[in-house]
Amino acid sequence: MQKPFHSLLALFGLVLAFSLIAASCGNDDDGGATPEATAASTAAPGAAEPTETVSVVPAQDGGTLQAVKDRGYVRCGSRDEVPGFALLNEDGEYEGFDIDMCRVVAAAIFGDADAVEIVAVTSAERFTALASGQFEVMNRNTTWTATRDGTEGANFLFTTYYDGQGVMVPASTGFTTIEDLEDANICVSTGTTTELNLTAVFAARGINFNPVTFEGFDTLVPAYEEGQCEAMTADSSVLGVYKFEIEQGGGDDQHIMTELISKEPLGTVVRDGDTEWAQVVNWATMATVQAWEFGLDSSNIGSYSGTDPNILNFLGRDGFDPGLGLPTDFAVHVVEQVGNYEEIFNRYPQLGVLNGSVNDLWSDGGLMYVPPYR
Amino acid sequence: MTATLPPSETGPQPSPSGLPLDMRVSPGAWLRKNLFNTWYNSLITVVAAVVGAILVYYGGRFVFVTGQWEAVRKNLTLLMTGVYPRNEQWRLVAQMYLVSSALGLAWGTVTARGQDRAEETGVAAQRPTPLDLLRRYWPILLLLVVILVFTRTVWPTLFTLSTIALGLGVRSAAMRLPRSARRPCWYAAAFMAIVSFQVVSGANGSAWWWTAALAAFIALQTTTNLETAAPWQRNMFRFTAIAAAVVVVRLAYWLIGDTSSVSWDEWSGLYLTLVASGAAIVLSFPLALLLAVGRRSSLPAIRWLCVGYIEIFRGIPFIALLFVAKIFIDFFLNVDTPLSLTTRTIIVFTIFSSAYLAEVVRGGLQAVPKGQIEAGQAIGLQPPGVMRLIVMPQALRAVIPAMVGQFISLYKDSTLFAFISVVEFYRARELIHSQQEFTTTAIAETLVFAAFVYWAISYTMSKESQRLERHLGVGER
Repeated sequence: MQKPFHSLLALFGLVLAFSLIAASCGNDDDGGATPEATAASTAAPGAAEPTETVSVVPAQDGGTLQAVKDRGYVRCGSRDEVPGFALLNEDGEYEGFDIDMCRVVAAAIFGDADAVEIVAVTSAERFTALASGQFEVMNRNTTWTATRDGTEGANFLFTTYYDGQGVMVPASTGFTTIEDLEDANICVSTGTTTELNLTAVFAARGINFNPVTFEGFDTLVPAYEEGQCEAMTADSSVLGVYKFEIEQGGGDDQHIMTELISKEPLGTVVRDGDTEWAQVVNWATMATVQAWEFGLDSSNIGSYSGTDPNILNFLGRDGFDPGLGLPTDFAVHVVEQVGNYEEIFNRYPQLGVLNGSVNDLWSDGGLMYVPPYR
Repeated sequence: MTATLPPSETGPQPSPSGLPLDMRVSPGAWLRKNLFNTWYNSLITVVAAVVGAILVYYGGRFVFVTGQWEAVRKNLTLLMTGVYPRNEQWRLVAQMYLVSSALGLAWGTVTARGQDRAEETGVAAQRPTPLDLLRRYWPILLLLVVILVFTRTVWPTLFTLSTIALGLGVRSAAMRLPRSARRPCWYAAAFMAIVSFQVVSGANGSAWWWTAALAAFIALQTTTNLETAAPWQRNMFRFTAIAAAVVVVRLAYWLIGDTSSVSWDEWSGLYLTLVASGAAIVLSFPLALLLAVGRRSSLPAIRWLCVGYIEIFRGIPFIALLFVAKIFIDFFLNVDTPLSLTTRTIIVFTIFSSAYLAEVVRGGLQAVPKGQIEAGQAIGLQPPGVMRLIVMPQALRAVIPAMVGQFISLYKDSTLFAFISVVEFYRARELIHSQQEFTTTAIAETLVFAAFVYWAISYTMSKESQRLERHLGVGER
């Protein structure tokens, strides 16, 4: 048995040597970036000096946009398991509201909504991943809080979705307010701010309740359907998903209480320290709302023939350049390739009804208000 | 490897049923003797039969009647290849063809060598019958059938069959090659297996140069023992062969003109599970040998280095290493995308499992009596020779079960990749239940399917290790 043993060792050695070579150079080519481009990005003026970046936490001002442009695509942190927001679908593609917001940034910078690489991250690792430079933008339904802004090295930009924690009950119970839930069993997923909010709000109002905790929704929802609890609580966007799911699956009709027990503004996040990049991402995102306000959508933005000077500014027709570092016509690319806010929102029924909701335009009573583009 | 060892060395051959021939009795007598010989054994037999029948009934009903397998059927591609771009999947098919040819080549070479050796020793070579192969590979074949049952077009079945046919065809061709072609065959097999990953990731940009380097290396190796009239002719020939290899590779890349590419980070699903654990097994084995030998070295620096490596990486949870690989490395390296996540994962996986494997190998080294080493030295072998020819073969033979156990556990450890959002097979299974229609349904079905996939591959590894043990006569001499 010695001969085959030798050949095996030789083969192992060979495979080892060439796998190492392969590992070191086989993946330089993703997304069309060439080694030359990578070299250029490190040598580009304004790019981070190698000696200064033992810790890369504070992004160098102006470095990110140039680095992204040199690379040829933007990396966006998101997730892969929430229908409506960010889901890896059965075709192996990412889809959802948050994913579209990532594509918006790519469309604005490159004129190509596909020039984006989605990096899925878990809740636990998201801020570390953002700080370490795994991606430049994060759309991962992340609630904007003071602590996160202050200590996580994160810079919260435009709020793309105003969420809030809600309570869902079977319609047959007839419960309509939180006070009806005295002594009720409430299903909640453990270890989240949802659980903390529930305890805090119910204690403040002096309502006794009995929390039934679960590790995740895959166990929580069946238990709720079985009647182990009179109510379940989660962010209302999540409740919408399961309401849809339970009712479609032939279950009881469900009622989501209108009263919200927390504020959960979800938005786009970038790393602290690079204002130029933050402005680029912010205005790219806000362009979807501005287009909606102007009545421009993916079908008519390219063929706009009016004379409204504000719209002409917005479309960059008159050469107007606010100096954001974006192409003057970025809004056209954003809306044509991804859509305006209303189109993006309505693409995902799980997000609920837009009209009349808190996410409606400010002029229609909602909270979607963007600064003027001029 | 079937016939490499003369059967006389393994003692009397057991009959196919595993029972010695003189124990064969009529079924009725066998039942009385083994299952109903006392009243309590009869009771146990009856109870076990009833419980078994109930389990089979409910299990069978679940699999064939009540199970909603739509979740698996709709998401089969997600489970198999995850986020790998759908319009680039021909690359995976091409890789399967290449790997199958490489395996056929290697297998054919090994079989031919076994036949030659059997002829030399005057023992008839055993040729495995199709039934033998079926008995040997049934878990993996069953897995293939189950996966193909879930496909919705005829193409995957055709691809699978043609892949198997290609492998077998190459094998029988390789067996007919002359003896001198065996070494080049090994190199060609390794070359095809490695280059197949170039096909998967796309061959644009500077990708061609390492394939060229590989080809040049092989040209250099295969011409080592070339006999020519004068030394300068040999050098000339070798130089020409290397240059030709490089030129041919460059030309081939230019002709194929593959301009697109797929990032390694797009590897996912069962494909990633198999590639990552396969790479970790292949890479950690030589590393573990070095570490195990180094830990017993008489040079303090080497010994401490190896002890440090083993104890540090054995002492850190695998998840912690994964997080280091995914996130914290970026704090130290300021290169734009220094390594793809897949590469990092494989590296960490290799580092982690080699530390464990090194200790297994060290156990084997300690089991080799000192007299063996002394005997080796007595016949004039240098220390590396003693290690390579005398100690290591005996040591490895002694720890095959432990090593394969390590490999199986490593294969299943790949599920931990999910913690850093790498979509390996089990994570892909979880993602099915994020889809609207399967949020709360078909959870048992996808679990059973995933469990079956893991089991079929683990069991094949375990069976192969037992076979190897039998052939090497572990525990018999």
